[in-house]
Amino acid sequence: MSIKFESQKVSYWFFLSAILLLGLQIVYGFIMGFAHMGYDVLHQWIPFNTARAVHTNLLVVWLLLGFMGAAYFIIPEEADRELFSVPLAYVQLVTFLAVGVIALAGYHMNIWEGRKFLEIPRPLDYLVVVNVLTFLFNTGMTIWKAPRFSTTGIVLYGGLFSAALLYLPGMITFDHQTLDSYFRWWVVHLWVEGVWELIMGGMLAYLLIKLTGIDREIIEKWLYVIVGITFLSGILGTGHHYYYIGAPKYWLMIGGIFGALEPLAFLGMALWALTMAKKGGANHPNKSALTWTLGCAVMSFVGAGFLGFAHTLPQVNMWTHGTLVTAMHGHLAFWGAYAMIVLGIITYAMPLMTGRKLYDSPMEKWSFWSANIGISAMTLSFAVAGITQVYLERKAGMDFLLVQKELHPHFLGLVLAASLFALGILCFIVQFFRYGRPVAVTKTRPHGSLSGSEALNP
Amino acid sequence: MLSKSQARAFFVGGTFLFSAIFLWLTVDTLRQIPKQSKTENMTASVIRGKHLFDKNNCMGCHTIMGEGGYYAPELTKVYERRGPEWMTIFLKDPQAMYPGERKMTQYNLKDEEITDLIAFFKWIGEIDLNGFPAKPDLAPAAAAAPVSASADAKTASAPKPAMISSVCMGCHSVGGQGGKVGPSFDGVGSRMTEAEIAAFIGDPQKVRPGTAMPNLGLSEPVKTELASYLAGLR
Repeated sequence: MSIKFESQKVSYWFFLSAILLLGLQIVYGFIMGFAHMGYDVLHQWIPFNTARAVHTNLLVVWLLLGFMGAAYFIIPEEADRELFSVPLAYVQLVTFLAVGVIALAGYHMNIWEGRKFLEIPRPLDYLVVVNVLTFLFNTGMTIWKAPRFSTTGIVLYGGLFSAALLYLPGMITFDHQTLDSYFRWWVVHLWVEGVWELIMGGMLAYLLIKLTGIDREIIEKWLYVIVGITFLSGILGTGHHYYYIGAPKYWLMIGGIFGALEPLAFLGMALWALTMAKKGGANHPNKSALTWTLGCAVMSFVGAGFLGFAHTLPQVNMWTHGTLVTAMHGHLAFWGAYAMIVLGIITYAMPLMTGRKLYDSPMEKWSFWSANIGISAMTLSFAVAGITQVYLERKAGMDFLLVQKELHPHFLGLVLAASLFALGILCFIVQFFRYGRPVAVTKTRPHGSLSGSEALNP
Repeated sequence: MLSKSQARAFFVGGTFLFSAIFLWLTVDTLRQIPKQSKTENMTASVIRGKHLFDKNNCMGCHTIMGEGGYYAPELTKVYERRGPEWMTIFLKDPQAMYPGERKMTQYNLKDEEITDLIAFFKWIGEIDLNGFPAKPDLAPAAAAAPVSASADAKTASAPKPAMISSVCMGCHSVGGQGGKVGPSFDGVGSRMTEAEIAAFIGDPQKVRPGTAMPNLGLSEPVKTELASYLAGLR
């Protein structure tokens, strides 16, 4: 039981970088949690806007590293050939990390673009583009030279390609705040509520094929349906960011209706994954990987779908827009949909790459439950703080800073919950190191067909 | 039963259809934005202010049009709420205005930069945002009403200088209205003489070392006017 192609091992280094950066992201999260409690003791060196930019940018960087690692793992197998170029993949990793480090260092020196989520200064944007083109070239050539290619692979590659394309509207300079915001959401919204769902769907399909033993044709058919619903709702759902930025009023109706439909894609994913797991006859030994996979499908519905719906309607959003209610939705949405799918593929890939069957150890179970219970409690803390803020500040007209003082106890709750979450992530990282480094591929198998039965003999 | 090719057709067809609708709406939106946002009022100063706002990542703590960091106050209507005098003093030394409170970085902005930022906020406040931010609908009527001169008319002998509402009441209160950062002005005339008040507001640190009250750099006539009004609050 091991990986099929030597080149799949490059993903180990992407995964390693990803989870270490996740750890660093959590550190900056704590800095902000304490600042919200009134202990902004690091303000002089790491003011809140620095901590926030680092926290959110690290999220994007580690998730992208996770997606890239997943692509380097999945695409050779789906294409049934070695990766086009292994050295290019390493060059791409190192340069990507270098750009990330320079950007993060700059944030500590007031060097940034100051546009929420897209704080990376313009010159570094160009390097990101070159880097991502390298990645797309490498994986694209692998697909191009492949004897055949699967739907799962196409959807995954399509998601990554579109994500790169949608990065470009974020690189236009605007003098006008409304236009700036309008096109910034083309990147941010169409990534996380659009093409990233393609990446997630592709990874989920791959894991379900491997772990449940259900026939590939069935899984991939429903994958099309789900990503179809994603775009059907998500593209016009961008309108829920256009309610109050100085854009026409019709966005209230369009964004409201299509934003309200967005949870359907996540509901579809949850039902799809749970049904496949229930129907699948395979008894795959890596139960932890299945737990993360199903956990991802369920938590993405709760976080991205349900909690998104909670404040997407314009009559609700009028009051919640720009409050901690958004942070409540944001945390569980990114965790459920994107962090968990990356941690899921890592949990699946590590035993195969290293040849060590450490799955289902108490450490793995603990990391899943501690992280998930922790982030659920965090979400609850944000929800209570956010709703309190809405009523005191927005509805009763109390002063901003006075309301923030009322919220201090909820941030104590947040920090406690975050500690449980951080413990789970720490266990995940420890477990990752316990697996050790990848080993050489020993067993050479004939290039098999892409049937569902391959899952029984991974 | 749905076949895989039908599922693919649904995905590809739906994506193209909704992308096309989205692009069409974008064209229409771009046509309407100049009118809705009063682009004609976007002076060079407003544009410089916007880029200053971005350069210092103000959005990393504040929200503007509801977008930002949720750590510091919403700035969409800040011009209307605070007025240019208060904002000018605040931006020169943010922490002086809110001692011991949540901190804002001192950006050492030049006078013309402060003017640009204020111009930007003024323009933002005038955009038609489809009703955002909503007026507090559960607020007690008094707190929601704009600060007026009537509340303290009975006790004050001198007329109320405009600066009391536009600057001082950001921190201090009169007749239950205003901020709670500094002590209330109510009855200050029975605690301090006019000369003591004038000396204090002229150089707060000299009179009471360690006080949180910032030196506002008041001119002599303004100082006299303020002290005369405050001394009348008994």
